[in-house]
Amino acid sequence: MRIAIDTGGTFTDCVFLRKGRLEVLKILSTPANPAEAILTAVRQIDPGPQVEIRHGTTVGTNTLLERSGARVALVTTRGFEDVIAIGRQARQNLYDWLATPEPPLVPPELRFGAEERTLWNGEVAREVDSAELQSLLQRVSASRPEAIALCLLFPFANPSNERRIAGALASLGVPLSVSHEILPEFREYERASTVVVNAYLAPRMGSYLRDLGQAVDSEFPDARLHVMQSSGGIVSAGLAAREPARTILSGPAGGVVGAYQVARLAGFERIITFDMGGTSTDVALVDSKSNGGLGTTNESVVAGHPIGVPMLNIHTVGSGGGSLAWFDEGNALRVGPQSAGADPGPICYGRGTRATVTDADLALGRLDPEFFLGGGMRLDEERTLEFMTRQRDSLPDVDAFAIGIVRVVQTTMEKAIRVISIERGHDPRDFTLVSFGGAGPVHACAMARALRIPRVVVPRFPGALSALGILLSDVVRDSSRTVMMAPDDRRLEGAFRDLEKRASLQMRAEGWKGVGFRSVDVRYVGQGYELNVPWGPGLLARFHDAHRKRYGYSDVARPVEVVNVRVRLVAPTGSVPLRRRSPGGKDASKAIVKQRRAWFAGRRVNVPVYDREQLRPGNRFTGSALVVEYSATTVVLPGCRARVDGWGNLIIEVS
Amino acid sequence: MADKKKRDPVELSVFQSLFHSIAEEMGAALRRTAFSPNIKERRDYSCAVFDGAGEVVAMGDHMPVHLGSMPMSVRIAIDSLDLAPRDIAILNDPYAGGTHLPDVTMVQAVFLRRMRKPMFYVATRAHHADIGGMFPGSMGPCTEIYQEGVRIPPVKFVRAGKIDASLLRLILANVRTPMEREGDLTAQLGACRIGALRLEEMVEKYGVSRVRNNMATLLDYSEQFLRAELGRLPAGSFCAEDFLDDDGAGSGPIRIAVTLRLDPRKRRAEVDFTGTDPQVDGSINAVYAITYSAVYYAFRCLLAADTPATAGLMRPICLVVPKGTVVNAHPPAAVAGGNVETSQRIVDTLLRALAQAAPDRIPAASSGTMNNLTIGGIDPRNGNSFAYYETIAGGMGARPNADGLSGVHTHMTNSLNTPIEALEYSYPFRVHSYSYRKGSGGKGKFRGGDGLVREIELLADSQVTLLADRRRLQPYGLSGGEPGASGRGYLFRVDGRAEELPGKCTFSAGAGDRVRIETPGGGGWGTESDRKSD
Repeated sequence: MRIAIDTGGTFTDCVFLRKGRLEVLKILSTPANPAEAILTAVRQIDPGPQVEIRHGTTVGTNTLLERSGARVALVTTRGFEDVIAIGRQARQNLYDWLATPEPPLVPPELRFGAEERTLWNGEVAREVDSAELQSLLQRVSASRPEAIALCLLFPFANPSNERRIAGALASLGVPLSVSHEILPEFREYERASTVVVNAYLAPRMGSYLRDLGQAVDSEFPDARLHVMQSSGGIVSAGLAAREPARTILSGPAGGVVGAYQVARLAGFERIITFDMGGTSTDVALVDSKSNGGLGTTNESVVAGHPIGVPMLNIHTVGSGGGSLAWFDEGNALRVGPQSAGADPGPICYGRGTRATVTDADLALGRLDPEFFLGGGMRLDEERTLEFMTRQRDSLPDVDAFAIGIVRVVQTTMEKAIRVISIERGHDPRDFTLVSFGGAGPVHACAMARALRIPRVVVPRFPGALSALGILLSDVVRDSSRTVMMAPDDRRLEGAFRDLEKRASLQMRAEGWKGVGFRSVDVRYVGQGYELNVPWGPGLLARFHDAHRKRYGYSDVARPVEVVNVRVRLVAPTGSVPLRRRSPGGKDASKAIVKQRRAWFAGRRVNVPVYDREQLRPGNRFTGSALVVEYSATTVVLPGCRARVDGWGNLIIEVS
Repeated sequence: MADKKKRDPVELSVFQSLFHSIAEEMGAALRRTAFSPNIKERRDYSCAVFDGAGEVVAMGDHMPVHLGSMPMSVRIAIDSLDLAPRDIAILNDPYAGGTHLPDVTMVQAVFLRRMRKPMFYVATRAHHADIGGMFPGSMGPCTEIYQEGVRIPPVKFVRAGKIDASLLRLILANVRTPMEREGDLTAQLGACRIGALRLEEMVEKYGVSRVRNNMATLLDYSEQFLRAELGRLPAGSFCAEDFLDDDGAGSGPIRIAVTLRLDPRKRRAEVDFTGTDPQVDGSINAVYAITYSAVYYAFRCLLAADTPATAGLMRPICLVVPKGTVVNAHPPAAVAGGNVETSQRIVDTLLRALAQAAPDRIPAASSGTMNNLTIGGIDPRNGNSFAYYETIAGGMGARPNADGLSGVHTHMTNSLNTPIEALEYSYPFRVHSYSYRKGSGGKGKFRGGDGLVREIELLADSQVTLLADRRRLQPYGLSGGEPGASGRGYLFRVDGRAEELPGKCTFSAGAGDRVRIETPGGGGWGTESDRKSD
């Protein structure tokens, strides 16, 4: 049996197949030791022998955000010890000279230079001699590191110096992260940052996964533990422990894969995911029609740290249901980035006193006080109206205040989606918005309208979509190397073969057989940004095409260079038979549980409230309407036509 | 504040975000499509959206030095050209809407259907790595603007959507790296078009009067912020001076003087540069647009970080800038360094005056120079000519609440460095060091940030130009803090000779020679004896 387990802040979600049927289990998380909840869940599921556990973990993200990782020593080429701190020499806050950013993960006394040098063409200008090695070892050892990051200059052109030093440092017996193994690509600061983050997470992630693995192993014979990567692929727990930088967006990546798989099954290949939670919102664009897969980026920045290994292109903004509304000095209404969080929470939860997006939604009648969390929690409407009346400032009434909050937060979300779509050359009209997270479906129709996205899909299990994505993900091993060669350079073939050989050996050792996909990062000679295109005949035409699409022009006369070669080895998981639900005819009225006064199109009207559990495939209805379920409420705007498809997804055609 | 109650707080917030989004999208397009490292890696560019009167309503978070000066480019394009639909103006003349020659600005008027006058303008400005003239990189020690590069007055570059091919040929014939220039200019055009398109879409969605009303409201709104701030500052006259080392053409120290007159009752301020030295032979003369930008920047920093950067902000400020001085130069003064060096000193001087009015909010002097380094020659690996330009950050002045940051760009610039590995792929250089210059920050209760050390070995015969300041005079401390260390430069010849480089110089160097730049530290804040032990 295969079980996908996604650890969240509040719930640990599990999705698994039992006798060909998809089942969902939700239990409370155990933040102090996430493994406890996982073990409890697996015991409840009782999978029998040979269980495969696939895990979406927040241990990496949290360690980075809380800055509770290891004491890392960084070894660089001498003269470049400070690059990790200097970064790109720019300041984050252009007009705030009192702001102080977080210090780098490696303080000055833990940065060590080695006398050595490799050049751009791979020539070794200075080898590491044994005296230097000895002294380096002594200095590093004396600093008592818990992990070591090694990042010299140009190790991707020739790793011999880095190998030699790594060999010596290995004797210190702490986790070692080596740049030509983790990210053999040019741009030293971004590579060093990735390697340092990896080292920073390695001890904690290593012991967490080891302990979890042993605990699972002792209770369930022949169990295997795998981990979701930020790239949307599965790896072994062993590799995740060695290269935790690959797992920072483990959970959110599950959400994107889940959305992608559900949408594809429903017939939509180009999607924008919209995952709005309490304090933040994640958006991502997946265009599998154009690039045949999920699409990843190598330019992510997490908590201020560049991470150069492939990640799904997830863009996060600090606005969510709990974001607070306030008026600035010039009397403009602002929403966020401060959030009411879980404590005190929105006004309607009973303890908060300041208006949030969720309060505005409730005040407009777009949430139902009785059906929140499946009725497990009653929202206090009266209290909300009372506090909001007091805070509305110059606005005439609570309705105007609430509408204002919703418009402002939706503008922020719209901007986030514009960044990942329009700014990157995609037309939102060609996409479907897949919405999940507690607050997503409340605002999805409005977002779609604002961006002229023709359709919204609210998946069948919006609260367990991440776990579903993890269950459905393929096993993936990404590798790459900077080569800087002409596209017809014969050495490219060798570079590809090297990568393929190493990756497949590794995969085979873990019991998988992967299929290789070759691609290259290409640019016009002299450009500073690359486009990733599949390798093979017609490469140049594909590149010019991609360039025109993304940047509005191309120039076939200009020389082109291959910057990086990439190999992605994929061991497919195979399809999971999602069950079609029995159809129930067009009439959806049986699912109506009540009417509610809600604000739509400039006035308060009576709208039907549908219970998602009672909707059947084939049911159709037209907005205005609310659809309530355990973990979310969907708002169907006036004129939008909703239907339930064979898998229980809610599909809304936005007018 | 009676008028503020009339504004719709929701519209204000929403439209501020929408306008800003357009400027940001233009910037993203420019960055992604440009060819030169200077634009795409270092991000030395700005994009902005203007109303029909040419007042800036939104600007991307790009380069502060462009803040006040972009509107002047738009102004001159409006005044001197009859822009028709799909026309795009180009200019770089510092004496006609520009700042210094490498900064090339494009302006497009946005017309709506059935309207004869433009409703909006969009503009992009980018620093080009070479624009011709005596020295590769066009930042050398010239004494007349004619030596600094090709001077483009406001002219139409695109007519009805079609590039003027002869004009383009003329420009490209005058620069050292024509292919790269063409790529960058094309990228700027694309960014303008995207801005115009988005404004058209916005009007289609919201209607023209709503968009225009919100632009006007946004200008008032920014004004409000600064007026509120000016109302809180103490009344009085605050004088300060600071100096540039020299002009690089034989002058002594050059004085910049400012008198800041604050009137909290009327919520107004006057910034008077009377007493500043006359313009000089060397290239550090600043045109009025730069002084305006520096003043804009200093006041902008007194406000909350997300205050919109619109033209309204400057309404309560009255500027007195005597003509013929280094802060308001006349032709044919050379001006390449005014934008990068003098702009920083104007900020230093103004902050020194502001510190008397608001001592607990103003940092000590930062490095005060952009350490402009330009290297040109022929790359032996491929026989092509190259022109490399970069700025090197320094120490930030200590703040009243914390030490200054080390090795970071401050005030009027925020351009990124070029990665060492990208540098060595693209140019015949070997970098030997890129690190903090330890101990260069001034001591104090809070210490100034340290400067940087960058040492580059040349692998080909090259012409090297340095344009830097704070080599003799140090960045000042405040409230008893010590000044930061001044900067230094060295040339280590391959035969073992070492020369100390003056702040502003140009010289030939051969393969194997090394250039080492040590940038200034920031000044300290408060007395050292009050420092909590670290």
